[in-house]
Amino acid sequence: MARNKYDIDETLEAGFDFGQLKRLAKYVGPYKKDMIKAIVIMLVSSALSMLTPRFFMTIMDDYIPNKNITGIVFLSLLTMVIAIFICVSLKVKIILTNRVGQNVIHALRRDLFVHLQELPFSYYDDRPHGKIQVRVVNYVNNLSDLLSNGIVNTITDLCSLLFIIVFMLTINVKLALVCMCGIPILAVLIWTVKKKQRRAWQIESNKQSNLNAYIAESLNGIRVTQSFVREETNQNIFNQLSSDYKSAWMNAVRYNMMLSPIVDTISVLTTSMIYVLGINWMLGGEGNITAGVLIAFTGYISRFWNPITTLASFYNSLLTSISYLERIFETIDEPVTVKDREDAVDMPPIQGEVEFKEVDFAYDDGIKRLDKVSFKVKKGESYAIVGPTGAGKTTIINLLSRFYNISSGEITIDGIDINGVTIRSLRKQMGVMLQDSFIFSGSIMDNIRYGNREASDEEVIVAAKTVCAHDFIMEMEQGYDTQVNERGSRLSQGQRQLISFARALLANPKILILDEATSSIDTETEMMLQEGLLKLLKGRTSFIIAHRLSTIKNADCILYIDQGQIKEMGNHDELMEKKGEYYNLYLSQYSFLAS
Amino acid sequence: MTPYKWFYSHLRKHARYIIIGLTIIPIASALAVINPKVSGSIVDLVMKQGNVSLLPKLILLLVATTLLRSGIRFVMIMSMEKASQGTLYSLRDSVYKRLLLQDFNFYNKNRTGDLMSRQTGDMDAIRHFIAHVIYATVESIFVFCFALIMMFTVNIKMAFMMILVLPFTALTTYFQVKNIKPAFIKSRLMFSRLNSFAQENISGNRVVKAFAKEDYEIEKFDKENDSFKEVQLEGAVIWAKYIPVFEFLSNVLTFLLMLPGAIMVINEQMTLGNMVTMSGYLWMLTTPLRTAGWLINDIQRFMTSLEKIFSTISHEPDIKKPSNAIVKKHLKGSVRFEHVTYNADDEDILNDVSFEIKPGQTVGIIGATGAGKSTLMNLLCRFYDASEGNVYVDDINVKEMDLYSLRQNIGMAMQDVFLFSDTIEGNIAYGRPDCSFEEVEWAAKVANADSFIKAMPEGYDTIVGERGMGLSGGQKQRISLARALLTDPAIIILDDTTSAVDMETETRIQEELTRLQDKKTVFIIAHRISSIKDADVILVLDNGRIVEKGTHEELIQKRGYYDTVFRHQYGEFDRLKNSSEFREYIKEQQKEALNYG
Repeated sequence: MARNKYDIDETLEAGFDFGQLKRLAKYVGPYKKDMIKAIVIMLVSSALSMLTPRFFMTIMDDYIPNKNITGIVFLSLLTMVIAIFICVSLKVKIILTNRVGQNVIHALRRDLFVHLQELPFSYYDDRPHGKIQVRVVNYVNNLSDLLSNGIVNTITDLCSLLFIIVFMLTINVKLALVCMCGIPILAVLIWTVKKKQRRAWQIESNKQSNLNAYIAESLNGIRVTQSFVREETNQNIFNQLSSDYKSAWMNAVRYNMMLSPIVDTISVLTTSMIYVLGINWMLGGEGNITAGVLIAFTGYISRFWNPITTLASFYNSLLTSISYLERIFETIDEPVTVKDREDAVDMPPIQGEVEFKEVDFAYDDGIKRLDKVSFKVKKGESYAIVGPTGAGKTTIINLLSRFYNISSGEITIDGIDINGVTIRSLRKQMGVMLQDSFIFSGSIMDNIRYGNREASDEEVIVAAKTVCAHDFIMEMEQGYDTQVNERGSRLSQGQRQLISFARALLANPKILILDEATSSIDTETEMMLQEGLLKLLKGRTSFIIAHRLSTIKNADCILYIDQGQIKEMGNHDELMEKKGEYYNLYLSQYSFLAS
Repeated sequence: MTPYKWFYSHLRKHARYIIIGLTIIPIASALAVINPKVSGSIVDLVMKQGNVSLLPKLILLLVATTLLRSGIRFVMIMSMEKASQGTLYSLRDSVYKRLLLQDFNFYNKNRTGDLMSRQTGDMDAIRHFIAHVIYATVESIFVFCFALIMMFTVNIKMAFMMILVLPFTALTTYFQVKNIKPAFIKSRLMFSRLNSFAQENISGNRVVKAFAKEDYEIEKFDKENDSFKEVQLEGAVIWAKYIPVFEFLSNVLTFLLMLPGAIMVINEQMTLGNMVTMSGYLWMLTTPLRTAGWLINDIQRFMTSLEKIFSTISHEPDIKKPSNAIVKKHLKGSVRFEHVTYNADDEDILNDVSFEIKPGQTVGIIGATGAGKSTLMNLLCRFYDASEGNVYVDDINVKEMDLYSLRQNIGMAMQDVFLFSDTIEGNIAYGRPDCSFEEVEWAAKVANADSFIKAMPEGYDTIVGERGMGLSGGQKQRISLARALLTDPAIIILDDTTSAVDMETETRIQEELTRLQDKKTVFIIAHRISSIKDADVILVLDNGRIVEKGTHEELIQKRGYYDTVFRHQYGEFDRLKNSSEFREYIKEQQKEALNYG
């Protein structure tokens, strides 16, 4: 699938089948007992509630004419007892169904989230984040009502429907069959509409997802929007998406609303048929139909259609929810391309020897990013990677952390193929400082501690001091407890880099990877930082990507990368000697001074 | 303005749909009464009395009223849906508009996930309210009152007795409202938190993976997910207390008709016929009563969400368009800071900063991390207002200038590059969506981005991931630079725009920039001396103050901060410049430049 953006509808890879409903049933499975309890209680209480009209009949037909006051009092009190029972069972039902519904969506959401943690970078790179988010939160929430009240009500209604059908059949088979002949007609109509209705709800969920994605991006990119005075254009795009969503909703909801008139029409037509046929048969003396039978029968007709109406509306919400459900399952089924091999073992404590053997790599688009890259790093050495932007520097270190799978070749650490070890055990021993320093909302302390949750406050502070972040943190009013957020706007870019640097250090990694770790940091701070860093790097293997060559001059080895290939390899002096690309790059720093 | 007035002002635009819907309710209810009567007549007249000739007419009536009723009910429900979608559209529009107006301070304080919850989950509560709750409530009240009136016409005493449940109903309503509101407020809060958590986890997925912190994230997620569930269940426990009470009250009505009613009949205070009629109306009293508890829930949920949305949008941005704003299409580009001080959260970010820049000058800004360099530029664009002192552009105080015309004249390439999940072309043309492809290409060429863009399989049509995922840091910076250039601004701000770009590319970019025909005022924030050396003025910032000011040569002479930085970066140059290698290199370069020219 090509990369998605806010105004492109996501295609659905797998169609819906009943297997997915079965899957949902598995989530409900653990709460079978609660469900059954709720259903039994509801059946009993609806059976009991049917007694009240009978009591009325008895009172009016028998007790009042006979002035049987004891009987009246008895039945009235019995009604109240029943009422209390109904109230209690209603209360129990509300609590039970909510428990089931909330637990099921809780479990579903958890599975979805856990799977999202497994999915590789490429999954997140390929679609707007708002579209992923809407699945985790909104779509899952939409299922709660279906799962709780929906199922219980449906089963209770099905039971009462069966009950009534049996009743009708015992009174008169012929009339019962006439009454039921409406059902296949309804089924056919529902079936005909179904395809369009499903499609309509799929479109609706797409449009909702698009709108959501746009809102998320608008909020995250608000600074750019305001600085480019794009407000009006964005407002128009937003309104367009909002109006698409509105039309999609109206279109879809129309199908749902049509169901009720359809049921009404069929029910009134079958009822009329019963009157006409019934009276004809009664007059013809056919099939043992007497006036009494007919009258009793008509009493059940409305009871027959009530559960059907609620069943139909359950069907409606099922169709609506299914368009969300299939998206949720689609995400859960998204294959994890970067995953542990079945026979993967934990990476033993890393010594720090790293080797790339003829590594090739291409993204999904098929363009080769790395071409036969080979090099070998001894334990404790520091390697610098330089080269033009887009040459593949970040790719090399991404492969080392196994963020992507290599196309061919082999990467080993301490002689162990990294494809054969568990990803987590590998990454846990590496400290990576990424190019864009992401700050989580929370305190500065929490953000640094993200690298190592067991670290004490003192250790956090030591890490901050090592990267020269301590001073500016202390200048803030609340020091390490200062709350920062994702956009991290209270912090300058350089400060954010220092914080994520401290985070990487705190992880106490055996292999340290610094990708443009100091690009936004001023020279003075950087120099101080390097003193601390030198101590720290002792005994650790490290990879450093930087454009400021002062940072990398002291590296044990420098890889000059261009177009996915290692062009030059050696230490600073060797490469200068060579008078090749690195030499040019190095001198180009100074060329402006000569002019 | 209260949340409700605000809501009403949007609802009012769609009032006609609501009026249509509400007018239909009594008609539909009245038609609902006809059907049982017709069925009754069929039983009585046709079946019991054998008056078969009436059957066709009665059946026709039955079918006609049913079709009419379900037809107009469909119209009603669709009108309410239309009203709800229309209002929602207008509310979303208004919230979005408001969010676009909010200043940086607002966004520093509010989490993206929270703001998103307002536009999604909370909006849905409002949708449900308009589409369903309004008519259900009106219908319930209408049916209930109608039944009561009918009862009064049948038997006054009995009717009065029925009214006795009303105070109890009111009391239960009062307590339910009181106790359920906090539960809903909590529920919305948890929803926001869950949303924010998911949002950050998704945005920060790279960091999560890099630190192998999946388990930790799942643990944190479990906490949020658990508390969301707990809060929902807490709410259920509360309404599970009240909703059965309404059920009970409705049964009390039945009881009243059964016991005192029957005794009244026996005592001949009421006829048996009256009792039969009344028992027929009874469902019209009990059904609304039964649904009351649910409706109260829905209304409370609506109110909570509405208040939540309103609290977000009612926040007045500190930075607004002034009332008599000076609109200037094209600025010349002179900039003057006069004793500007800026503090946030009791922290001095800038302290008494003054300087003056003429149109067309290039200004270099250098200084320690957190010295206030970006803040300086944010004040110029009026993303924040100075706490003291004033900022002038073309001798106009920025506070008096139209916000849009100010920002339109400033092209900013920000430090923290944000790209949208759009095509590269769309990203570059962000500030001028209607410009031609040639212009986009031109900007990309100036920013030295054209060649790498063209090397991509889909070139300018390549969709980049959110925040430019998939591009290298240097590539993102160059796209952001192209984006700023394309708006053809009078003032260009390059905030650390080339930090991830290699030296050679940076040199080429600078050459291109100087070649730009009409001179622009350029601010360059950088850490590399090479980026700012040729600037007309260099400002050195430290701790929010300008500590040095001058040209490269002047500052070197001063032997201060700038000079120290310079020597740290290029200390080797003294040794290098006399070496034969370097001279050779420079000769080569000059030759190449000649060939190139």
